Amino acid sequence: MADDSLAAHRRDPIKSSVGNVAAQRRRQNAATVGKERRESLVRAKRLCRVGAPGDGDVPFEENDMMTDEEGFLLEDQTSSAVKELKSAVAYQGKGAMQKRVNALRELRRLLSKSEFPPVEAALKAGAIPLLVQCLSFGSPDEQLLEAAWCLTNIAAGKPEETKALLPALPLLIAHLGEKSSLPVAEQCAWALGNVAGEGEELRKVLLSQGALPPLARMMLPNKGSTVRTAAWALSNLIKGPDPKAATELIKVDGVLDAILRHLRKSDEELATEVAWVVVYLSALSNFTTGVLVKSDALQPLVERLATSNSLQLLIPVLRSLGNLVAGDSHTTSTVLIPGHEITDGVVKVLVKCLKSDHRVLKKEASWVLSNIAAGSIEHKQLIYSSEAVPLLLHLLSTAPFDIRKEVAYVLGNLCVAPAAGEGKPNLIKEHLVSLVQRGCLSGFIDLVRSADIEAARLGLQFTELVLRGMPNGDGPKLVEQEDGIDAMERYQFHENEDLRNMANGLVDKYFGEDYGVNE
Amino acid sequence: MEWNAETLQYLSQCFLHTLSPQPEPRRRAESSLSEAADRPNYGLAVLRLVAEPSVDEQIRQAAAVNFKNHLKTRWVPSNDPNAGSTFSPILDPEKDQIKALIVSLMLSSTSRIQSQLSEALAVIGKHDFPKSWPTLLPELISNLQKAAQSSDYASINGILGTANSIFKKFRYQYKTNDLFIDLKYCLDNFAAPLLEIFLKTASLIDSTAAAPGGGSLVTLRPLFESQRLCCRIFFSLNFQELPEFFEDHMREWMGEFRKYLTTNYPSVESSSDGLALVDELRAAVCENISLYMEKNEEEFQGYLNEFASAVWSLLTNVSQSSSRDKLAVTAMKFLTTVSTSVHHTLFAAEGVLQQICQSIVIPNVRLRDEDEELFEMNYIEFIRRDMEGSDLDTRRRIACELLKGIATNYKKQVIDIVSVQIQNLLSSFATNPSANWKDKDCAIYLVVSLATKKAGGTSVSTDLVDVQSFFLSVIVPELQSQDVNGFPMLKAGSLKFFTTFRGLIQKPVAFQLFPDLVRFLGAESNVVHSYAASCIEKLLLVKDEGGKARYTSADITPFVPALMNNLFNALKFPESEENQYIMKCILRVLAVADISSEIAGPCIVGLTSILNEVCKNPKNPIFNHYLFESVAILVRRACERDGSLITAFEARLFPSLQTILATDVTEFLPYAFQLLAQLVELNKPPISPSYMQIFVLLLSPDSWRRSSNVPALVRLLQAFLQKAPHEVNQEGRLTQVLGIFNMLVSSGSTDEQGFYVLNTVIENLEYGVISPYMGNIWNVLFMRLQNNRTVKFQKSLVIFMSLFLVKHGAQNLVDTMNAVQANIFLVILEQFWIPNLKLITGVIELKLTAVASTRLICESPVLLDAAAARVWGKMLDSIVTLLSRPEQDRVEEEPEMPDIAENVGYTATFVKLYNAGKKEDDPLTDVKDPKQFLVASLAKLSAVTPGRYPQMINENLEPANQTALLQLCTAYNCQIV
Repeated sequence: MADDSLAAHRRDPIKSSVGNVAAQRRRQNAATVGKERRESLVRAKRLCRVGAPGDGDVPFEENDMMTDEEGFLLEDQTSSAVKELKSAVAYQGKGAMQKRVNALRELRRLLSKSEFPPVEAALKAGAIPLLVQCLSFGSPDEQLLEAAWCLTNIAAGKPEETKALLPALPLLIAHLGEKSSLPVAEQCAWALGNVAGEGEELRKVLLSQGALPPLARMMLPNKGSTVRTAAWALSNLIKGPDPKAATELIKVDGVLDAILRHLRKSDEELATEVAWVVVYLSALSNFTTGVLVKSDALQPLVERLATSNSLQLLIPVLRSLGNLVAGDSHTTSTVLIPGHEITDGVVKVLVKCLKSDHRVLKKEASWVLSNIAAGSIEHKQLIYSSEAVPLLLHLLSTAPFDIRKEVAYVLGNLCVAPAAGEGKPNLIKEHLVSLVQRGCLSGFIDLVRSADIEAARLGLQFTELVLRGMPNGDGPKLVEQEDGIDAMERYQFHENEDLRNMANGLVDKYFGEDYGVNE
Repeated sequence: MEWNAETLQYLSQCFLHTLSPQPEPRRRAESSLSEAADRPNYGLAVLRLVAEPSVDEQIRQAAAVNFKNHLKTRWVPSNDPNAGSTFSPILDPEKDQIKALIVSLMLSSTSRIQSQLSEALAVIGKHDFPKSWPTLLPELISNLQKAAQSSDYASINGILGTANSIFKKFRYQYKTNDLFIDLKYCLDNFAAPLLEIFLKTASLIDSTAAAPGGGSLVTLRPLFESQRLCCRIFFSLNFQELPEFFEDHMREWMGEFRKYLTTNYPSVESSSDGLALVDELRAAVCENISLYMEKNEEEFQGYLNEFASAVWSLLTNVSQSSSRDKLAVTAMKFLTTVSTSVHHTLFAAEGVLQQICQSIVIPNVRLRDEDEELFEMNYIEFIRRDMEGSDLDTRRRIACELLKGIATNYKKQVIDIVSVQIQNLLSSFATNPSANWKDKDCAIYLVVSLATKKAGGTSVSTDLVDVQSFFLSVIVPELQSQDVNGFPMLKAGSLKFFTTFRGLIQKPVAFQLFPDLVRFLGAESNVVHSYAASCIEKLLLVKDEGGKARYTSADITPFVPALMNNLFNALKFPESEENQYIMKCILRVLAVADISSEIAGPCIVGLTSILNEVCKNPKNPIFNHYLFESVAILVRRACERDGSLITAFEARLFPSLQTILATDVTEFLPYAFQLLAQLVELNKPPISPSYMQIFVLLLSPDSWRRSSNVPALVRLLQAFLQKAPHEVNQEGRLTQVLGIFNMLVSSGSTDEQGFYVLNTVIENLEYGVISPYMGNIWNVLFMRLQNNRTVKFQKSLVIFMSLFLVKHGAQNLVDTMNAVQANIFLVILEQFWIPNLKLITGVIELKLTAVASTRLICESPVLLDAAAARVWGKMLDSIVTLLSRPEQDRVEEEPEMPDIAENVGYTATFVKLYNAGKKEDDPLTDVKDPKQFLVASLAKLSAVTPGRYPQMINENLEPANQTALLQLCTAYNCQIV
């Protein structure tokens, strides 16, 4: 009888007891509790200590370290400067304008002098209503500039200090318009950027007062400094979590082109700010993500990643790339087609990031790869045969926890075929066998021991693949050698039911003792 | 239930009576309460009673417990489809009132009531918090702030305790958006107040401790307790990821954390009670820093060095002390986490490993008084921890984990140092064995625990020592020691070593020790004789390359009499009467050894006397299972050698089995039926009259009511039908058997069993005997088909019809069916047989149905009729599918629908006795290959009317099946013309 032996075995259930590895593209959770990770240079609020270009007469005082005494002195001086401003504003006589500008300049100088400006003293002395008054329409540019500058540095303070700017917002927004001189508009944008950086509540106020369209239009020209400030302010303004602002921004005429142009051509500093705008555009809304993908935003991102060595730039560019891959399945299925030049380019820059010394780049690059690895068989083969794999294997055994976890998602995804229909995962045996032979199992078993439940689940899922999929029934032996039984037995009474069942199920199925007598 | 003086009075009385030592009033009160619990507002009334200051405290306590339990079963969302129907849920208006009252009530009550209400609150929180209980957190926070102002620590700790229980869910759930929305809500509201109270309490502790005398335990206890709760909440809120608030305030938290690890509070710690109090806080701190170390090592890095050294010096002290377990364990876990992290270089410095090994690992591995006590007082628990891996949180185990952790990066150094340590321990033992025996135990423990674990396997590995020579020089002397009762813990450790490394010990060496193992079965220590039994049992399972057993019956037969004698004697030691390790060893020996009648005799005597004993009160299901397996394997293997022994076995076993049946020992009934089936099968007809009594019992419908009995009863019935077909046909017994079939087949959960009965009848009885009943049988089956046709049932029906056909011919099949209703055969064929045929699985079943179907289309006039051409073709199509495609391509998995209605409330479950099992019988031994049978039959048939069948095939078979059929024809060199 031809295939009797085959029929003699009862079929193992195809249904996996454990389920798929990652498989889904993983987006960052919409709700977050962690601190927003922007790197040092791109702080949400910025003090303005050096004048905007074109305002060459401001001497920069190199005087960071202050004693307490100097601090008190500064507060005193600030209170009197505000008093001085008050009388200058009240004064209607000859030279009133110059007097106001002088008073403002003095206050601005005090507010720019140190890294810890005397904001509290200025507010206590009643600076805000005076500054608002100085912003009134028809005031000379110099006065507007100084007033906006003062407000900028007040807004860079503590949350309640930023909130103090509320009465000034309509005028600051009004001065963003095309009729204002560039330095004034830029300074107002800066102040507004600080306000937007404070939080969701103030962002909502700004959006309802119409701050977005004029800021967006400031991105259109090729004027470096203005565009940079506007882009930074916008990146604060569209942070969400409501995606509406991001959608609104991309719909402003010309903005999309300007963004792509700046990404392609401008200097690294400007590109960095623009890249942060792209980060939020691609993170929050499927609509904007789709628009970016269709407009070939991938190309300039990849070029920047390939050519730049500035960490400040690489971080937002890499994250944007990741968002585009994670957010829109169209990206992997129709843009990053294996064999296309752009796809090879992406893998190449990701490899570059994996090699970098910086952990954020390694982590984010792994995250992007894990999402590409969740794609088609061809995507998996592409990554599998790339230079990434040896790097990933090395990281899995040596990197800090958060990177290891991302790396594990990539390697795990390389070993399972795309789910067909109801999501029964099939192994890609060739990848599994070779990765295990190259020593990745111990890294996954380490994850099983982890306190992090996602990581533990991933570790268990991979262990299941090994137990089920290694040829000649070698899986159990390999898992044993890595002390995997012990790792799984920790879940015997775990509070997470899913993990408990997975681990216990695997131990029972593959290592259960013969209950009866073996004959 | 309305709240008034009468209700108050009534409930108070009830609760008072529930505390009564007299069973009568107590039961009455309990049943009145459970009745009242179904009424609306019962929970609310009980809660009000708890709050009533005029009521006696103990009544209120009882009420608080009742309230908590009431909520546990009834606070299910009223629209939850999974909610059990047993309890009526609390309605929403009552829930709202309870939620409005409970926080303030909890805070104002005495501590015992407070803890009950806090648990009750946690129950509500589990379902309702935060979305359906938006007022809870604000209420807790405002109360916390109020209580903090007046330093009212009873309330503060009540609130923190509650917060701790409702936040625990963040510790084990997966990251989902919903969970994060909840977490964010809790963080936004609670993170700041938590830090505030933590810092306030911290400064209170500092100032109290700094005062002269250092503050009393009474003053400081609530403060330390409060800090511990804050730490546990910290753990929950930080578990998923590092929240922004905590990152921003890391310095404040870590500063206090470090203080608690490095500061001593002499006025508190001078009492063991107070030391435990501070240690609990320290342990909570260690868990928090371990969490940060593991998940947020980048942000935590700045604090790592100071914490590592703080924990280290703390551990050096703690390790010397024999209590303080929890702290030792959590502190070692922290160091383990550091050792496996990217910052493992902290361990690289000269001398560090040496220090850790000497002042932390060794002292923690060393036996302590508690271990000795457990060894003597509770051997089962000791074995569970020592041998079976339930020691995840013991100091010994965690100390070894620490070593393993360090070894991930410093393997060679660890091996070198530990090897030297082991040598030192052993030489210390050598200088004065009786005083320093714990050193040797420590050495053995280290070697065993650091080996890589293998479950159920036969080998482990270790790089630490050369196993062979360690065994010879260290273990063998212990095992050869003439005094089996001296230094029992060392003996146990040595036996454990032998068991663990059994695969690595060469056969001659191990074999030589066999008599010693037998000797240790006589040791008084329960652990020692259990380990000896376990060691023998595991040795008998060792397999060499190629899967052959290393120790054969020839090897052990000389020892068997002494071995069995000692095993049965060991069961007489106090507390080992139901020792499962010994019983399992008996089972294993009976499975391997040659069972001569000299051995069988005493064994059956021994086993039945134990059986009679455990029947009185079945306690240990594992022991009992091995006991029955032992009986089954003894009977089977002894009778295989010498069939005449059956009479002796029957004589011994019958009284015991009759006791089980007569006194209805529920747990044992399935076993008893299986053993009886085994005995019946071993009998030569005619069957003895004593079995016929049991047969009568078997036929009573009562026996079949319990679903746990059914599989075993079916098995027994099959045995009777095979061995005593004539007896079955007497005194109307067949009617009874078919009655049972009828009962089983009409329920979805037992229909397969019903078919087993029916198939056995069909297979074993002459057609003349069964033909009068066939009409009735078909009626039953068609009825079931009409009422509830599961795929499983339809498949069973196809198998039954096939069996009937091959046993009694196609014509009888068609005729008996059509006698029930004209032409029903073709209807059944088309609607059920043909579509379900291709779903059949199992080698025997596949062959049976394929052959029967083939015969049907080649022999049955109904199908050969020209009018049936289409049905003929469809049938063939289905046969070809069945035979040509791999199982997974033709069978869809059928979702199992659990059917629980039949369970009459017994907890006994059916456990199959492996050794009383039945061999699968092939009803069709004359056909070897169903494929060949098909094409040969078709070839023969077509030869009669050439040209007719190719056309029918062409018209009715799927193209793929036509190709497959053609291939089959070629393969077997047959032709359909």
